[in-house]
Amino acid sequence: MAQYSSQSDDELLLQLRNGDEQAFAALYRRRQGAIYRFAQHMSGSATAAEDITQEVFLALLREECGYDRERGTLSGYLFGIARKLVLRNLERGRADVPLESETDEVAPRELAVVDDPLAGLTRHEAIEALRRAVQALPRRYREVVVLCDLEELDYADAAVALGCPIGTVRSRMHRARALLLEKLHQDRKPRLALDAWKPMRYAL
Amino acid sequence: MNCPEFWDHLPQRGEDISEAQKAHLAECATCATQWEPHRALATGLRSLAEEWRQTDAPLRVEAGLMAAFRAQAGFQARRSQSLSWWRPVFAWTAAAAATVALALVLMRSYQPATASPGTVAAPHRTSQPVTQVADVEVDDDSAVFGEGFVRLPNAPRIDPNEDFNVVRVEVSGSAMIEAGISLSEDRAAETVLADVALASDGTPRAVRLVPDGGSY
Repeated sequence: MAQYSSQSDDELLLQLRNGDEQAFAALYRRRQGAIYRFAQHMSGSATAAEDITQEVFLALLREECGYDRERGTLSGYLFGIARKLVLRNLERGRADVPLESETDEVAPRELAVVDDPLAGLTRHEAIEALRRAVQALPRRYREVVVLCDLEELDYADAAVALGCPIGTVRSRMHRARALLLEKLHQDRKPRLALDAWKPMRYAL
Repeated sequence: MNCPEFWDHLPQRGEDISEAQKAHLAECATCATQWEPHRALATGLRSLAEEWRQTDAPLRVEAGLMAAFRAQAGFQARRSQSLSWWRPVFAWTAAAAATVALALVLMRSYQPATASPGTVAAPHRTSQPVTQVADVEVDDDSAVFGEGFVRLPNAPRIDPNEDFNVVRVEVSGSAMIEAGISLSEDRAAETVLADVALASDGTPRAVRLVPDGGSY
């Protein structure tokens, strides 16, 4: 198996197409974690993530898999398949999907949060708070955060996976980070958030 | 560097700002204040990524994929052989070998490792009408695996609490007939789509023919 570790994804793909089972295993072991984590972050379900991971790699076995190295890396291509499967999965459970509106695409507001939203938390608490905040993001922002921040894809690969221009990835990242900071800030100051509703209640 | 330039040229990784940006933060209190939560967020996301990176897909996913790969590879080998110049000489031999290989894949966990191809290819139900046995098993196993599944020869009945995965593969019609699927003889030489139910250890337990429409 060591001989495969130095080979590129494209080389492994070529070998698996020629029936090399070890090449398929090597490629799977190299890429499965990121695909599985992406699917789990996006679907919120370990079971769905398992099915999606399986389907992504089964797609590589099909002759008409459609990967074109000129259009991006194999990693970006695999994420693209995973994303489509996630969307299909979310379509089936539409009731659980936060509704998104066109306003999600408007230019980001100026960031109102000026203090460290994770200050004073232990590392574990900070990670949990962040995990919840990422999970609460609308889907289109969650996917760029998972791809670019958590799985460390560059913007070009993320653009391939998402089927959009790099500029869109960049602007969504900017907006996603602003939303994450707002969410973390709200979670840290629930009393302030509740107080903000009081005048409305009195008005009613 | 001025303020708009600082914010317009943020790197993908939030912590990795350039020396010029660091110099701007040192002289601009407003940007420095606004930058602090971004820096904290980037650090937090990196920590989350490091912890999350230890999560992998369960091993049964790899086992299922390897089983699917072996089934698929058997067909590709048969197809490439059938296209070569010596096809007239070895066509029947290759087809028979592919069928035996598929039978081995489908039933590998239920046969001794040293079993001869002849032993593997001989279904244990030959004394009974195939269609009758298949009908009975469809009724029984549909409740466990889903509509249309037939338990493979010698495969133990799956525990209702046991996890299993279904993978879609291409197999020969003849292998499906041997597995007890009702398929006309004239499709024996064709490649058909099949769903294979794999136990949590990756061993195949049941199979069903995918209809021409492609889904159940």
